[in-house]
Amino acid sequence: MNEANGSPRHCFIHFEQSMCSGCGLCVKRCPTRAIRVRNGKATIKNSLCIGCGECIRICESGAITASTSELNSLNSDKITIALVSPVLYSQFPGVLPRDVLQGLKNMGFTHAVDMSYYFEMFQWATAEYISRNRKTGESPWPLISPVCPVVLRLIVCRFPSLLPHVHPIMRPVALMARDVMTQFKVHYGVDDQDIVLYYINPCPSKMGIPKKELETAGTSADLHSTGALGINDIYGELSRQIKHFEKNDKIPFAQAGFEFEQCTSGGGLLWSMTGGEAEATGLDKILAVAGLNETITYLEKIELGLFNDLEYIEFRTCREGCIGGALNAIDKYLAKSAALKMAKTLGVGTRLNRERVLRLYDNNWFFPKTTPQALKTMGIQKERTFSFDELRMIEKIVGIIDGKNCGACGSPDCRTFAEDLIREEAAPDDCVYLKIRGITMDDILMRVKPEQDKD
Amino acid sequence: MPVIHKSYHVTKNDFIHAGEASIHVKNLLKSLNYDSDLVRRVAICGYEAEMNLVMHGGDGELSVDVSQSKVVIEVTDKGPGIADVELAMQEGYSTAKDEYREMGFGAGMGLPNIKKNSDEMTISSEPGSGTHVTMVFFCKG
Ligand SMILES: Nc1ncnc2c1ncn2[C@@H]1O[C@H](COP(=O)(O)OP(=O)(O)OP(=O)(O)O)[C@@H](O)[C@H]1O
Ligand code: SF4
Ligand SMILES: [Mg+2]
Repeated sequence: MNEANGSPRHCFIHFEQSMCSGCGLCVKRCPTRAIRVRNGKATIKNSLCIGCGECIRICESGAITASTSELNSLNSDKITIALVSPVLYSQFPGVLPRDVLQGLKNMGFTHAVDMSYYFEMFQWATAEYISRNRKTGESPWPLISPVCPVVLRLIVCRFPSLLPHVHPIMRPVALMARDVMTQFKVHYGVDDQDIVLYYINPCPSKMGIPKKELETAGTSADLHSTGALGINDIYGELSRQIKHFEKNDKIPFAQAGFEFEQCTSGGGLLWSMTGGEAEATGLDKILAVAGLNETITYLEKIELGLFNDLEYIEFRTCREGCIGGALNAIDKYLAKSAALKMAKTLGVGTRLNRERVLRLYDNNWFFPKTTPQALKTMGIQKERTFSFDELRMIEKIVGIIDGKNCGACGSPDCRTFAEDLIREEAAPDDCVYLKIRGITMDDILMRVKPEQDKD
Repeated sequence: MPVIHKSYHVTKNDFIHAGEASIHVKNLLKSLNYDSDLVRRVAICGYEAEMNLVMHGGDGELSVDVSQSKVVIEVTDKGPGIADVELAMQEGYSTAKDEYREMGFGAGMGLPNIKKNSDEMTISSEPGSGTHVTMVFFCKG
């Protein structure tokens, strides 16, 4: 099927048609109603996909995967840098983060950069913004964490009135991508084209990042060669590398050349779990919410004007936080226990110089260069809204169908099917309730067309 | 003038489902692409009236009539009613029980908020016969 509204966009999700059984589980699960079964196979409207990964989790046939990047520039003449989400460490219980980073280098990455440093930067900037916002009232309370991109896309798609609540500090991964690019260019004296960044993370929604992030950060680089890898993409090879030097333990650790290369902290691991970000801010009027349904419920309520006595809400659409991300390799509870243990071993605490962070803050280092609107639409397109008359027709069609939300039509529920009829993306015959009564589109239009209104 | 009419049953003391009617109304208006400020005002007022029903009123109904020019919300219950409506409309006046105050309600700001955020508001109540709140919101342009 064609895109809902024109310009195709890179999709986070890939459907392998030959493996799809057409069962419709994903259709019902999708929070933006982007999936349909047509001609026995699932199809997705790319422009509506927010990358939450729910369909990947629910699919029983293994037909749905995340569209990650190809890892093809290892051992090439490019400087290939892994940007590492600390969630990765939780996948290797008992292994020290620096050994995981070393494993990545053994796989062929020139450098492996840990993200905890940028979490700390983000935290400081957030605390600063909140304390200033108490005086300026620039943003409405509660601020909504920008960290989980699914939440941002959900807001763009379903809760646009909440956009002013989105915390305007650049996301940690954006700070990281920009900083790494700048520092390594200077260090090696090379151009953007010589550096390839791979963001290694558990989240299908981050595909296209850091490219997108660098763009919004205003980097002029030619970003043809940045990509993202799911943790499950590299897990096998990385485990082999780690086992290998655990056994031999004779590979000397290269001296880390950069401050942030050795900066793995326990705090970074806590960030990968729900509540970690909230805890790190040290603020009082703060809340952490995790899970897709939970997030949606809270966003609904913020729209009703609730929770304005809170200053900040951390949202993660995955249960337990990013540690429950769809592209992880091990179970989230095992990962959580591993992460908690490791956080204890490494200890938490801050290492940043507050004065320096404040200087950067006042130089607008933490704020995206492009307009907030550009950041915030993130390539999401809403479906066209219906006119008043069309909506009345849809209401009536739902009445005519008089169905049971069975989903056999390939749409998630009767109402969406009625919408699909009006959009001319489905035919009455797709619905068993209409088919057995022999109702055609002409019959339907006869009965619901506005001219026919007597009231 | 064509309208879309919807009504939702609201149950006294049911805090689990409280707010759902207002969320439905809000999403209906959003799907019609109404101006986001209007949607916000309707959502806030609907929610305050719905919560009043749940906390102070009795079982009842929240209904909405949407047309291109205006949105009308009516919230009706068959609860104890309000003896002195003028007093109830004042900021800070509340008879909310302690247990509700612990849940963050009872600031006595609900009815004043409705007054402030709607274009027209009428409230009629007789002790013993329930309460009826009507709110009207005009669409711009
Ligand atoms: N539907 C109703 N039935 C009976 N009494 C009501 C109803 N709605 C409001 N009242 C009375 O009016 C008072 C004021 O209502 P209002 O909504 O302004 O404040 P509140 O509900 O007490 O507190 P808040 O809305 O700030 O949580 C209530 O305390 C209650 O005594
Ligand atoms: S919670 Fe974390 S892993 Fe899950 S979608 Fe959000 S950012 Fe990605
Ligand atoms: Mg009230």
